[in-house]
Amino acid sequence: MHAVVCVKQVPEQNSVKINSDTTIDASGITPIINLFDEYAIEEALQWAEKNDGKVTVISLGPDDATDSLKKALAMGANEAILINDDSLGQVGAQGAAKVVAAAIQKLGDVNIVFCGKQSTDDETGQFGPALARFLGWPQLTYVFKVHELTDSQIVVDRALEDTLETVEASLPVVITAVKDLNEPRYPSLLKIRKVSKQPIPTWTLSDLGLSADSLGGTINIAKRTPPPPRPSGEILSGDVQTQVKELVQKLIESQIL
Amino acid sequence: MAHGVWVLIEHKNGEIAPITKELLGKGKELADGLGQSLAGLVLGSNVSGLVEQARAAGAGNVYVVDDAALASYTTDGYVAAAKAAIEAHQPEVLLTGSSLQMRDFTGALAAELGTGLAPDVTGVSIEGGAVQAVRPSHGANVINALTFGSERPMIVSVRRQVGQPLDAAGSGETINVAMPQTEIRTKVRNVEQRTGAVNLADAMVIVSGGRGMGSPENYEKLIPELARVLGGTHGASRAIVDAGWVPYERQVGQTGKTVAPKLYMACGISGAIQHLAGMRSSNTIVAINKDPEAPIFKVATYGIVGDVNDVLPALTEEVKAKTGR
Repeated sequence: MHAVVCVKQVPEQNSVKINSDTTIDASGITPIINLFDEYAIEEALQWAEKNDGKVTVISLGPDDATDSLKKALAMGANEAILINDDSLGQVGAQGAAKVVAAAIQKLGDVNIVFCGKQSTDDETGQFGPALARFLGWPQLTYVFKVHELTDSQIVVDRALEDTLETVEASLPVVITAVKDLNEPRYPSLLKIRKVSKQPIPTWTLSDLGLSADSLGGTINIAKRTPPPPRPSGEILSGDVQTQVKELVQKLIESQIL
Repeated sequence: MAHGVWVLIEHKNGEIAPITKELLGKGKELADGLGQSLAGLVLGSNVSGLVEQARAAGAGNVYVVDDAALASYTTDGYVAAAKAAIEAHQPEVLLTGSSLQMRDFTGALAAELGTGLAPDVTGVSIEGGAVQAVRPSHGANVINALTFGSERPMIVSVRRQVGQPLDAAGSGETINVAMPQTEIRTKVRNVEQRTGAVNLADAMVIVSGGRGMGSPENYEKLIPELARVLGGTHGASRAIVDAGWVPYERQVGQTGKTVAPKLYMACGISGAIQHLAGMRSSNTIVAINKDPEAPIFKVATYGIVGDVNDVLPALTEEVKAKTGR
């Protein structure tokens, strides 16, 4: 079994600024592995261990995304690949999926891909499904439990809003992980030191046989703004009974009750 | 030439979904703005009864792919059916809800068609003759206005309460589209109701508790009951989910659910940035907290500075007295 985990490096806090050209300024905020991707890494490691397989982590991002790849290596992944190209700075979820699909095809022998259900910065939830389509593989999204995974078959529970769906599929397959799928391990200091010198190859678009103009345009960001300030609120006064009566009265007047 | 604003007619147990009625209202507004017609797309098995329901809710033409392969949702089945209908009839826009199943569907469909997707939007409108969608990202710290390239259809998955149901029925034809030969590569073995499942995204009123509740017993005693008399459901902050007081399904915030109910009541929640990310677009926010400096008061419509263990029982009684619930 050769599992790939797609890892996105995101800002730890979302208190980002917006540049005048609509790009996001996350300077000064610690970059981390997208929360949901940590569950994807852990799940891939556990099943690769059981199936005597290997795990390759791939990230599309700037040079410093190697920090997240190193952490994944320290957690136990075997190989890491950074995809970095000047023309990918503003690539959308669909374009990114096309690029990563090309990288997975270049690796050749991959039979399962784990992703987080979405990133905590862009939050589109679109990458996993798009990746599966570009690979021509089935997808199992919002996976909450993996019951069984062999070189040929997988059985999972998908956690939807109010139902749990048990689904099976043949490999190759793309799965996306929700929070609490497992408990991601912490890399030991020893492992962190061990992988610090491990080379991480960087692939560019031309390494993947792609050109920038095949990757975008279906969605454009016309404008980005901070959220509108909420109208200033009102702190109620008086004793508890007075405050409670006034609140209920206000909720009735505004037809909420 | 593309034509028509289509709404995917979502259904469960033979009834069309509330989100679909809202989207037909939104779809009508977009269709009028574009000078086009409003149509429904029904995918399912034995769905003839849904055509009349869709029309009663405002759809004109209704496109139908009715096939046993669509009896339960699968990505492959739905994508193949929608693709066949879209390629035959060339809609300009396709609107769906933004449930997880619809996020699964639209992400795959957009990639399959090579067209643009605006996911999980809080607004969609015609600006200067073109469709523009609005969606928050970065934990609601960034509001993105999205426009589409030249590919059609433009696919938009829309949250609850963005559109208003229509009063008037539509009229038009029913157009059947044959289900294409498709290999469905996933097999649904079983679907079960989640124990303690909560659909926070659809709730009109949410009462959430946090650390300030003091103990899991206080939460359990006070929060669900207040939620019940307000006609809503209950949620929680990350702090008390991580502490094991309340299951993850109820977590509101950046790594939990994003909600925008008519009324959000934050009880003993200080208002960490990651919690605000999940609820700040709620219509009316009530905050109850001991600490007058708590950040939650900055987003609150109404605030009560006080101990939740005093305020909540009184509030529950007052709501009961006024509403008879």
